[in-house]
Amino acid sequence: MKTRGNIFRSLLPPVVVLILAVAAMEIAARMLNEPFLLPRPGAVALAMVDHRMDLAASLWTTTQATLIGFFASAVAGVAVAMILAAWPLARRAIYPYTVFFQTVPIVAIAPLLVIWCGPGIGAVALSSFIVSVFPVIANTMAGLLSTDPALEDLFRLYEASPWARLWKLKLPSAMPSIFTGLRIAAGLAVIGTVVGEFLVGLFGPGEGLGVRIISAKKTGHTEIVFAAVLLASLLGLAMFAAINLAAKLLLRRWHAPEQN
Amino acid sequence: MFSRIAIPLFCSIALIGGCAKSDSGNSSIQLTLDWKPEPEFGGFYAARQDGAFSKRGLDVHIQSAGEGADTWQLVATGKTEFATSTADQVLIARGQNADVIAIFAVYQTFPQGIMVHRSRGFTSMKDVFTNDGVLLAEDNSWLHFLQKKFSPVRVKITGYSGGIAEFMAKKDYSQQCFVTSEPILARHQGGDPQTFLIADEGFNPYTTVVICKGELWRTHPDEVKSMAAACREGWQDYLDHPEPVNAIMHGMNPDMDMQTFTEAAEAQKPLIETDQTRSAGLGTMTLDRWKTLDGQLVNLGVIDGSVDAAQCFINPDGQNGK
Amino acid sequence: MVGESAAIVQRTSPGRHAPALFAIIREANMRVQNVHKVFDREVVAIENLTLEIQSGEFVAILGPSGCGKTTLLRIIAGLDRPSAGAVEMGEGKIAYVFQDAHLLPWRNVLRNVALPLELIGVSRIERLAAAMEALRQVGLSDAIRRYPAQLSGGMKMRVSLARALVTKPKFLLLDEPFAALDEITRQKLDEQLRELWLRHRMTVLFVTHSTAEATFLANRAVVLSSRPAKLVQDLTIDLPAKREGSLRSEPAFAAITRLIYGALERGGA
Repeated sequence: MKTRGNIFRSLLPPVVVLILAVAAMEIAARMLNEPFLLPRPGAVALAMVDHRMDLAASLWTTTQATLIGFFASAVAGVAVAMILAAWPLARRAIYPYTVFFQTVPIVAIAPLLVIWCGPGIGAVALSSFIVSVFPVIANTMAGLLSTDPALEDLFRLYEASPWARLWKLKLPSAMPSIFTGLRIAAGLAVIGTVVGEFLVGLFGPGEGLGVRIISAKKTGHTEIVFAAVLLASLLGLAMFAAINLAAKLLLRRWHAPEQN
Repeated sequence: MFSRIAIPLFCSIALIGGCAKSDSGNSSIQLTLDWKPEPEFGGFYAARQDGAFSKRGLDVHIQSAGEGADTWQLVATGKTEFATSTADQVLIARGQNADVIAIFAVYQTFPQGIMVHRSRGFTSMKDVFTNDGVLLAEDNSWLHFLQKKFSPVRVKITGYSGGIAEFMAKKDYSQQCFVTSEPILARHQGGDPQTFLIADEGFNPYTTVVICKGELWRTHPDEVKSMAAACREGWQDYLDHPEPVNAIMHGMNPDMDMQTFTEAAEAQKPLIETDQTRSAGLGTMTLDRWKTLDGQLVNLGVIDGSVDAAQCFINPDGQNGK
Repeated sequence: MVGESAAIVQRTSPGRHAPALFAIIREANMRVQNVHKVFDREVVAIENLTLEIQSGEFVAILGPSGCGKTTLLRIIAGLDRPSAGAVEMGEGKIAYVFQDAHLLPWRNVLRNVALPLELIGVSRIERLAAAMEALRQVGLSDAIRRYPAQLSGGMKMRVSLARALVTKPKFLLLDEPFAALDEITRQKLDEQLRELWLRHRMTVLFVTHSTAEATFLANRAVVLSSRPAKLVQDLTIDLPAKREGSLRSEPAFAAITRLIYGALERGGA
């Protein structure tokens, strides 16, 4: 039951932490007195207001690339996991290499990205995809392989086809794991986008947050760097919240203690 | 109970405090270069090799910075006593209230350029910006300058992270370059590079300038003068006989082959030795050029307000700054 | 009685392992013939077991923990293969009820019960109607829209039972289905099961630990020894067909439970 007291109690602690963090930042910035290293929170807020149109345009660019990369990860990740879960031979042969997606430094393959896709949103979204796909594969596979064995027996007893087993049993059963993977992938997708923008983002009006960060860093405008980073974090937070909401809606009938 | 909190707390504060300010008590001096050992730094390694530093009582350690912080920030926060940077970075630093000054300029002429494929048939820098294609460049002041000069810009601009891989792969790609470095590399790999010098377009900051804290100049002027003099001596040595030092640098940076070292060392000479240096001495700078640069940066919005050009530099003999 | 075998037919075993041969027997009987089961090359779970079960019998299977009762049940159901020997079954569908309800948490009660028919390929209207009927028989008609997470343990087990009955099976195999429930719920479900059996007269194999439950439910008790499982005793339970809860306090009841208990002890329980 959401009473006024309950809302207050759940909202107050994070708000207090936020206030303390901002206060700590203000104190540290004053002590350090080097605005190009650590700007005062006031300067960051001012930068966000002064440059709100530019930053909004940058946020939109970054959001587009992130969403493309994320959805690509979600679809491809689940598809690959389904294939690997269904074929043990493929799984043994290929699964160890999927982890390379996570470990390859984007800096090293940036030239390839640019050559394949040209600079801009294509290459950036690809960077976002590469960085975020592995958790989806790993978690989905774990979910598909940890189906309740008694339910598998039940399906076998009634001679269910492999398709029926996948669609009616394994996939629904793997949903909580899939959502875990998506939660992790969301944050990584943002990081992948921003790093991609560092390397292969397009300069110019509406350039992504990553480009803006590098640009501001070069001119010592650290308060803009912080503002851009803050916006990127908010993007990640928003995606995370959206996924949680989706999970809640889809899985609300479950909260089954026997799964996961 | 109190000590359980206090001790880790004090240790953390001490750690952070220690990281923030390094102590400059000992006699060893750090010179941080803003790239790997290449001919653009030859004179410094020569100074170390030939004793220019040691005979002036300077115990100089040379290191290369990574991509992380800009070198002026390392100087401003006391991480290093001396470093190399560019004149526009010095102005940016001073615009951010970081008191760094330039004491010696290696390049009189801005050595950056844009490298294109000769097959594109461009005749000037303007063609690069007003035609289709992709330009790989860092988002530095000179890029803002050129974008403004040739606005509206048609080429797509994206980041540059080093090397010539993308350039070699696609005919319609152009990239920033050090005129003494990448074009030579591209030619060796069978490419057809054509270079346009940025300085020719009117943007000409001193480059590979040695910087230090203004405070160091005020408190230890002799040390700073010695450093500048040693650099001058080292550079003169290097310009006269580059081979031995090239060999040393190649040993530290095997990615660049000796042939390229030799060609680059030769190609950079006219950018370092000019009429100005022949009359006033190697590494000297003029107030006029600093003032011009200041005006340009304000115009481009790179710095928010004018910086007093006279405060930005001193020449190796101690004049023209303060 | 076992009639002469008509033809030897290969029943495709659901797990796609090489099937044991099954003979068609005229009535819905079941024969376990010299079934031997070994795990990991050394652990003998079941040793040369032979059993004959007539159509419509309610057989309780008892034995010490871990003795192989579940293994035997799974072999009969076709979920596992014997290492040697064969199981012969008459025509008719098999249903299996597990120790826990094991419902699909993302489906409501009605769709859970309809699942077996859905897997077989029955049309939607038919299978939902059959599911409603099965749920009515276990007394859960008003819970059809609920989800498993909202049900008590006893209700979940009844749904599981309804799911087993929805295909109108000839063979019903249950593996300690009520063991996790409290005493009162358990007895109620026992009574409900007995009534369903009286109505439909399928062949029932009921694995249990409880001598009282076995005595109440079954007309035959098969007691197995501790591993490797061998037949210790095969008794007929001579109690009336219609059994009320009050039966549990009758002396005849206690006598039978004592007999079963003795057999269990002899088998190494």
